[in-house]
Amino acid sequence: MGDNREITNFTALNSHRCVRMTRGGKIKTGADGKANLVIKITIIALLGLTIIGFLTFDYKDTNIFTAILDTFVNAGIMFGTPRLSHVSFSGAMEQLLVTFALATLATIFGAVIAFFASLLCAKNIANPIVANVVKSFVAFVRAVPTILWVFIIAMSSGLGSIAAVVGLTFHSAGYLTKAYAESIEEMNEGAIEALKTSGASFWQIVLQAIMPSSIRYMVAWTFLRFEINFANALAVGAAAGAGGIGFELWMAGNQYHDLRELGFLTYIIVIAAVLLEVIATKVKEKAG
Amino acid sequence: MALLEFQGVCKIYNNTTKALADIAFSVDEGEFVSIIGPSGSGKSTILRCINRLVDATQGTVIFDESDISHASKKDIREARKKIGMIFQHYNLVDRLSVIENVLHGRLGHKSTISGMMGRYTESEKEKAFQILEKLGLVEQAYKRCDELSGGQKQRVGIARSIMQEPKLILCDEPIASLDPSSAKVIMDHLSNINRNMKITCILNLHQVDVALKYASRIIGLTSGRIVYDGPPNHLTKNKIYEIYQSSEGELITDVW
Repeated sequence: MGDNREITNFTALNSHRCVRMTRGGKIKTGADGKANLVIKITIIALLGLTIIGFLTFDYKDTNIFTAILDTFVNAGIMFGTPRLSHVSFSGAMEQLLVTFALATLATIFGAVIAFFASLLCAKNIANPIVANVVKSFVAFVRAVPTILWVFIIAMSSGLGSIAAVVGLTFHSAGYLTKAYAESIEEMNEGAIEALKTSGASFWQIVLQAIMPSSIRYMVAWTFLRFEINFANALAVGAAAGAGGIGFELWMAGNQYHDLRELGFLTYIIVIAAVLLEVIATKVKEKAG
Repeated sequence: MALLEFQGVCKIYNNTTKALADIAFSVDEGEFVSIIGPSGSGKSTILRCINRLVDATQGTVIFDESDISHASKKDIREARKKIGMIFQHYNLVDRLSVIENVLHGRLGHKSTISGMMGRYTESEKEKAFQILEKLGLVEQAYKRCDELSGGQKQRVGIARSIMQEPKLILCDEPIASLDPSSAKVIMDHLSNINRNMKITCILNLHQVDVALKYASRIIGLTSGRIVYDGPPNHLTKNKIYEIYQSSEGELITDVW
């Protein structure tokens, strides 16, 4: 009972040896480790690079005020008086559909591949050796940018929609594998253990425990990827000649120098992207 | 004939940590055994050696007349069908309904495809409802498991293991996360299952008083060795201190 006496002198405490001080002489409370230092170094490095960047740009005698003014004038023409001249409205819609098709196909193929790959590399269900091999391979696939995959595929298939879809699929599969595997790793491992101990087989566990627990996240990730693929399909359509509204955009800008058409096509794309976002949010809510 | 037999079982984790050392005991059908001992003494490892969530390093575990410690994957699945397990954290699929979780107990008995798709026969569903009724959970049948209280979740866990029609139920700290009144409900249900359905039960418990009250036999474990094996009324106070390697006044049970 003698332990209850009030502690009046802090330095007399036995635990005093373990207390660390900050440089200001206050008691330190943060955890050990280099994390704080790393963050500080990163921020300082980024700040330095930004300053060096601005100091070494080649400004080509551009007058900043004329430049800003011209930008506003051009933007005014583009978005203030949009109109189609080289494509018809129905033609533009058709091209939008082509872009959607590219994105949809790539997302579906990617999702199917990623589903099986994620079962092979989620820590809580996979064989650790297989998991590491699959994870490294997937990391490599993701490290190569989408557009590069498209050009790599184009070597055998030629530029066009096949190269676009296959190239987009590669990166989607890599991205979704990581996302799905993390969704699976998030789940309560106990449920897997419980079914295993009752004699359930692997695929029974996948469909009865893993899917119900992770499907919501998987759907959310897939939609996010679909949005990314839509943006990628725009770029790939132009760069790889796969067609779609991205290609029309490129034609309007680089071939016809038609600012008004550029504006109109941009509006179409923005409206499509917003609609996509709204639908995705609704689906996510329903899935939850 | 014993239902379960441990013969010289050792378990060493990562080549260094000795979890079990030369464990030998046998359990007859219908027994209600409680394993007690401090954290890290190997209680969970013993249970997990029985259904092969953990592989014994040495020795033999015989369950229902077959050697389970050296069984093939297929034989392990066969044995697991006959062994139910109840967990401290219930281990339910939270996003599925209560009845779906109970039916999961049947997965081992079904073909892979119909189990995957969650297609159960009407008689299986009727049986699941009967079990839920016995455990007082019928009203909750269509609720999602994340809406239940801890005590209710544990009853779903029990229902799922009975659904397997097991010969043996292993309980790994079944009441460690529950309040005292839910804990009593769970222990009473387990005791009923043991007596009325003749299912053998092996429980890991932290609560010595609970073990003394319910178990027909107590196994005391200290750093991977059995230091007591016998009926609860022979377990002296000094033996309890020996199991927990402490002296008078250091255990929470000394407070009463």
